[in-house]
Amino acid sequence: MASVKLQCVSKWFARRDGDSLHVLQNVDLNVPEKSITAIVGASGSGKSTLLNIIAGLVQPDRGCVFLNGVKASDFKDWGSMTYMFQEDRLLPWRTAARNVAFGLEAQGVKRAERKERVAETLALVGLDQFADSYPHELSGGMRSRVALARSLVTRPTMMLMDEPFSKLDPTIRSQMHTEVLRIAELMSMTIVFVTHDVEEAVVLAKQIVVLNPRPGRVRETRTVDLSYPRDPAAPEVHEQARSLRASL
Amino acid sequence: MPIRHTARERRFRVLVLRVALLAVLLAIWQIASLGAPAFVLPGPARVYSAWSSLVATDSFWTDFGITFWRVFMGFVIATVVGVPLGLVLGASEKLGEFFEPVLSVINTVSSSIWAIFALIWFGLSDWTTIFVVFMTAMPLILTNVWQGTRTVNADFVELAQTFRMSRAQVLTKIYLPTILPPFFSAARLAFGFGARVSLVAETLGASSGIGYRLRQAADLVQTDQVFAWTLTLVALMIALEALVLKPLEQRLFAWKKRPGAQ
Ligand SMILES: Nc1ncnc2c1ncn2[C@@H]1O[C@H](COP(=O)(O)OP(=O)(O)OP(=O)(O)O)[C@@H](O)[C@H]1O
Ligand SMILES: [Mg+2]
Repeated sequence: MASVKLQCVSKWFARRDGDSLHVLQNVDLNVPEKSITAIVGASGSGKSTLLNIIAGLVQPDRGCVFLNGVKASDFKDWGSMTYMFQEDRLLPWRTAARNVAFGLEAQGVKRAERKERVAETLALVGLDQFADSYPHELSGGMRSRVALARSLVTRPTMMLMDEPFSKLDPTIRSQMHTEVLRIAELMSMTIVFVTHDVEEAVVLAKQIVVLNPRPGRVRETRTVDLSYPRDPAAPEVHEQARSLRASL
Repeated sequence: MPIRHTARERRFRVLVLRVALLAVLLAIWQIASLGAPAFVLPGPARVYSAWSSLVATDSFWTDFGITFWRVFMGFVIATVVGVPLGLVLGASEKLGEFFEPVLSVINTVSSSIWAIFALIWFGLSDWTTIFVVFMTAMPLILTNVWQGTRTVNADFVELAQTFRMSRAQVLTKIYLPTILPPFFSAARLAFGFGARVSLVAETLGASSGIGYRLRQAADLVQTDQVFAWTLTLVALMIALEALVLKPLEQRLFAWKKRPGAQ
C-alpha cells in the first residue's frame, strides 16, 4: 500500500525583501499505488517543492496531504518512503557498502542483518564487486547506482526522485531507467519523480503532471498508455514526447 | 605495475638522501667541535657517551615519563574542552560571533606569558606545565573544529533528514566525520607546540621533567647533557610522527582522493 493524495495544496515562501513568493497554488495530485508519476514543468515552477511536501520535508500552508490514505501529520511509516536527490550525495568517507548501510542506520537495524541487506541490495543494482570502493573510485553511473541502492535498502514502497539521473550521460541514463523499472516492478513500488526531460517522463511514467510556473499550478495531467518496457526509439514514444513538449 | 616501481625507487632515493644529510651534518658538527671548547660545543662522540650514561640512569625515564604525561594531560584536556566548544560555536552563529574576539586575544598571548601566569597561579607543580600546554593547544583545536563545522555539507544533513535521523545521529554521522580532518591537523600541530612549550614551562616552574633537567644541565654548564636531551627529544618527535601520526592519518583518511593520483 503506497498512495499519495494532495488536495488543494498551496505554498508560499518568505522572501528576503519581506514579500512572499507564491510557489504552489491549489495543487491536486492523485498517485495510485504501484504507479509511476512524473512531474514536469519549467524551472522554478515548484516541482521540487511539491516533492518535498510529499516527503514531509516542507509543510504546505494550505491544503491536505494524504499518504496511504492517512493525513501526513498522523502518518508514522516514513521508513517506507525514500527520497533520491539530483546529486548522488554519497558520503565521501564511507565505502559504497557503508553508504548503502546509511539508509538502515536510522532504522536501528542490527549489524548482522544490515550487512546482509546491504550485500543483497548492492547485488540488486549490480555493484557487488565494488562494495569496498570509495565514492571517488567509482564512475558517475556507479555512484548513481550506489545512491539507488541506499534508497532501496530500506525496502520502501514509495520512492520520490528529484531529477535523479540528470547528471548522467544519455546511455547510462537509459540504463538506469531500465534498472528502475525492473526494481519498481520487483518491489511493487510507487514512484513519483521530477524531471526536465520529456523523454524520461514518457519512458518511465504512467501519469504525467505538467506544472505551470509562478505560481505553480497543475496545467494538465495526462496518462501514458504504453506497455512496459518502452523503447525510447519507438515511434509511439516519440509521438508522446513530441506532444508533451508542445504543451510545455 | 610501473607506477609501483617508481614509488619504491622514489622512497629509496629519499632514504639515501636522508642518510647523506645526516652524515654531512655529523661531519660539520665534528669539525666545528674541534675548534671550540667542550662546554661550548661538545663533539658527537662526547654527546653520545653523555647520552648513553644518561639513558642508563633511572631518573632519565622518570623525567621522560613526567614530561610526556604533562604534555599528554594538557593535550587531552585541550581536546575535551576544545572539540565540544568548537562544535557549539560552529552550531550557533550568535555565540560564535560573540566569542570570536576572545579567541583572537588568546591566540596573540605568547606561551611564555602563559608560563609566567601559570607559575603565579600554580607554583612549582605539574599543573603549571599542563596549563601552558592547554592554553597553547586548546585555541588551535577549538578554531579548527569551529572552522570545520562551517564546511559541513548542508546536502548531507538534508539526506540524513530524509532518513529521519535524530540530531544525535546527524552529529555523529555527518558532523564528526566532516570535522575529523581539520581536527586531526590541529591536534597534530597542537601536540607539537604543546611539547615544545612544555619545556619552557618546565624550566620555569617544575622540579622534575626534561625541561627542568635541561636547565639544571645548563646551570652546571654540562653542555653535552643539554645536547643529549635535545637529541632525545628530536628523535622522539620524529618517531612519533613516523610511527604513530602518519600511519594513523593514512588509516583515517584512506577515503580521500589524493591529488595527482589519477
Ligand atoms: N526554501 C526556500 N525558500 C525560499 N524560496 C524557495 C525555497 N525553495 C524554493 N524556493 C523558491 O520557490 C520556487 C520554486 O522552487 P523549486 O525548487 O520548487 O522549483 P523547481 O520547479 O524544482 O525548479 P528547478 O526545475 O529549477 O529545479 C523558486 O522560485 C525558488 O526560488
Ligand atoms: Mg528542482
